Amino acid sequence: MKRQLPVEELARDERFVRVDTVERLSDPRSPRGRRGREGGGEKPPRGGRRITPDMPHGPDAARGMMHGIFVGEIQALEGAGRTCWDFDAGPADDQVPFELKLDMARQCWDEARHVEISCKLNEHMGTGIGEFSESTILYEAACNPDPVLRLTGVNRALEGLAIDVFNTMREFGMAGGDPVLEFCEDWMLADEVTHVKMGSDWLRRLTAKDPDRRTRALEFQRVVDKLFSYGGLRGDDDDSLVRLARRFRELAGFEPDELDEIGALSREAADERRAAMDRQRSRLAERAS
Amino acid sequence: MADPRAPRAPFAPWDRRELPGRFSVEESAKRVGHYKWIEMRLFEVLGGWVATVPELDVKMRLGTHCYHHAWHAELWHKRLPELREMNPERLTVPANDELVAFVDAMTEPEAPDRTIEKLTGVYRVLIPHKIAAYTFHLNNTSTITDAPTIRSLKFALADEFEDWRDGEMMLQSLITTPEEVERAGAHQTRLAQLMLAAGGIAGHGSIGADADPAAGNGAASTAEAAS
Repeated sequence: MKRQLPVEELARDERFVRVDTVERLSDPRSPRGRRGREGGGEKPPRGGRRITPDMPHGPDAARGMMHGIFVGEIQALEGAGRTCWDFDAGPADDQVPFELKLDMARQCWDEARHVEISCKLNEHMGTGIGEFSESTILYEAACNPDPVLRLTGVNRALEGLAIDVFNTMREFGMAGGDPVLEFCEDWMLADEVTHVKMGSDWLRRLTAKDPDRRTRALEFQRVVDKLFSYGGLRGDDDDSLVRLARRFRELAGFEPDELDEIGALSREAADERRAAMDRQRSRLAERAS
Repeated sequence: MADPRAPRAPFAPWDRRELPGRFSVEESAKRVGHYKWIEMRLFEVLGGWVATVPELDVKMRLGTHCYHHAWHAELWHKRLPELREMNPERLTVPANDELVAFVDAMTEPEAPDRTIEKLTGVYRVLIPHKIAAYTFHLNNTSTITDAPTIRSLKFALADEFEDWRDGEMMLQSLITTPEEVERAGAHQTRLAQLMLAAGGIAGHGSIGADADPAAGNGAASTAEAAS
């Protein structure tokens, strides 16, 4: 078996529908997709709208988010598994410590449980596998050939996003009086804090004597974090669709200034998205006139 | 109530543990190093295969089993210094080149339509041989002096039996035609022959008396020689 499995080769059964991120977010059942389809109306806030059970399309949006968690967990499982295979144990820059491989194997087990939990929760919420589409942006962060950059992309950016999403769904469960959803999300959240802490600790250890490598890794994390803000939908504002879970991220080793930076990146991404949408609207208006 | 000051035998009548064992410290360490090597290869490939199998239930089980074998590797890694091997990497080696050939062949299937071959190699060839070698070690080492190894062997064996059952059931559910029976059988035969040449996961002598074919008939195994 080769090392470095490209994203196109991720194996799925026929129920899964793979699309790019823009297509996925344009699903009319999602808050952004619905705005695109309905057009006009009240201009949405910078970070989109937080999903609540009493919103007219809240349950559909939550089902979509839960299915997104499900496919995201599959990709997180695959990413951790590939790190076990792709790198030899050793001290060289293209190798990883034996103990890091053990941690990745542990993460495999955790992510496999998360896939199991997500399957059950999808069923609980009335969603079938493949009812929503899958984009592979999360696995792409797990494809970096430099193990330190991969670790940073997966265990700090991807797993950090998982903390934010699980906390959002946990709060949705609390608001909607759904103890099953709240219970499961809280357990998964505990695992994700562990994974992010693992990433923070390994980043420190592996780059202790190589500040340049740490700088490159953190720069890569910034790029991935901006991508994972999905045009500002994940952000630090009160009504962000997915809100930065500061308390849990701090438990996992993020410093407050790092969180401020992720919040700023999300606002930047949101502004870029809104500017792009404004340009699109202008072009359409010009064509129509 | 019994008199607390009355002398009692150091070993209770039901405690039948004995001092003598088949393995010296060095032989035990050598085997443990081989165990760590094979457990590493196994957890690595299970992790790598997760992304290549389309069957969702198999994908999740491989992720779970990946951790079991990583944990076994960690147990053996920690045991090595206790067996006077202060550089565990020195003994983290395959038993012989034939075992490397076996692992290369077992890890070769990659395409998404080869789940049967992937599972056959692990669950019908490698894991049964691990169970055999671990059981042999468990039943032959000194139950008093090598008790820490025995404890780890028992933990590992509990996982191996569970994982073997999981794997066998996944295979039975995937093999639905006579052609697939042939496919699994052919792959199993090929790998079993490679494992035969290796003599088991700890080399010749993995489960006791076993002549190394390369050394001629009747050659004593390393385990035999050490006992």
